[in-house]
Amino acid sequence: MPEETKHGVECTEFEALLSDALEGKLSAARKESFEAHRRVCAVCGPLLTDVQAGRQWLRSLALEPVEPPVNLVHNILAATSGVVSTRTLAATRDGRTTPFGERAREWWDSFSASWFRPVAAFVRQPRFVMSFGMIFFSFSLALSAAGVKPKDVAKVDLRPSALRHAYNDAQIKVVKYYDNIRFVYEIESKVRELKRANTPAEPGPEQQKENRKNNTSGQPDQRQDRNYSQEYNQPVLAALRAGAPITPVLRDGVGDASPAVTVALTATTNRRFV
Amino acid sequence: MEEAQVVGLLVRRCVGGDAAAWEEIVQRYHRRIYNVCYRFAGDSDNAQDLTQEVFIKMYRTLNTYDAGKGAFMTWVTTITRNLLVDHFRKSKGDRITDSLDSAPSEHEDAQPLSEQIADRGLPPDAQVQSRETREMVHLALQKLSPELREAVILRDLQDMDYREIATALRVPEGTVKSRINRGRAELARLLQRTYKQVI
Repeated sequence: MPEETKHGVECTEFEALLSDALEGKLSAARKESFEAHRRVCAVCGPLLTDVQAGRQWLRSLALEPVEPPVNLVHNILAATSGVVSTRTLAATRDGRTTPFGERAREWWDSFSASWFRPVAAFVRQPRFVMSFGMIFFSFSLALSAAGVKPKDVAKVDLRPSALRHAYNDAQIKVVKYYDNIRFVYEIESKVRELKRANTPAEPGPEQQKENRKNNTSGQPDQRQDRNYSQEYNQPVLAALRAGAPITPVLRDGVGDASPAVTVALTATTNRRFV
Repeated sequence: MEEAQVVGLLVRRCVGGDAAAWEEIVQRYHRRIYNVCYRFAGDSDNAQDLTQEVFIKMYRTLNTYDAGKGAFMTWVTTITRNLLVDHFRKSKGDRITDSLDSAPSEHEDAQPLSEQIADRGLPPDAQVQSRETREMVHLALQKLSPELREAVILRDLQDMDYREIATALRVPEGTVKSRINRGRAELARLLQRTYKQVI
């Protein structure tokens, strides 16, 4: 601001007198020189106008003070003395009754502040979002691999009768499947028995030796499905007539000449040891 | 009994452990402190938090209050002002008379101040009476620097005298007057410039 003297008042002095001038505290002589400077000074004149206008704008705010939240006193007392106010909230608001909508909104605000906001803050964390996304993606993959389609889920009938029907259908399918497996096993067992019964008798050891000598093909010997755990001194029983005496015969003529053991058998033994 | 005597008695009772006296102090001053905080901070949530902080500080330091050094309201205003300045420094909200075309930060989807005024179409005298205009002035107030803002709030909104303000702000009385006048002029220029733009 230029240090300019006009009508006995400098610009700096004008600014210092400004507050008192606005509140009417200047003496008559001071006020006259103040007004004279205002009229001629290109800086101080507009300044006074702006200050007056700003004061008027601010007074408009002062006309209607802001009403604090209804729970402010309660919160202050809880945070300081810890003693809950003996006065009601209505008394805090100078006896005004609160509309139901406002009370509901206050209750909802406090409820959401205590429950939803912490949860929402946790859910908004990138770590949680990534984990949730991965879980969702995994479930989607698993369901699509299992053939579950959202359209099918929407068509599911959840009535008790429909659920009972679906349960019965599933049970019938399981029983049929089990029975089919059992039938197949039985058929296979029968076929195996028939094959065994129709298989020709294996040639004796002497004939096998002879065949091996005459074999000039150079190919290795055929695999012999024999029970090598059988001992040489075990008796080989053949079909006997009922009541015929049994004399043990030792293979290759090796064996002791123990007394003949007579056993009455009416059984048929297999020649092969499987 | 005078106001100062009543408050002095309440303070003595409160320091002696009378919870009812403390509640009476809270009931007497919470509106005034909330309004100062609201006009300075700009929004209700911050104002509520700051008001609670002021009373917590008061509750802890009430035994240090000396009635001989000044009025209780001046002491309370000093506490409030210090907390507001601390809050301003923490928030780093350097809002010194920035452009009117920038929307306020707490109302992201709000119109710029110039567009808000453009909706009026009323002469200034009629605007002053409207609630929307008060909101507009409140927004413009947030654009003042903290020094000018606190000075005009205490003088024009809280109607404190210059000496009390000087005590609360711990600056000379001349500085207080200068800040108040600069704050008023700056606020008027902000609003008038915008108003001229839209005419």
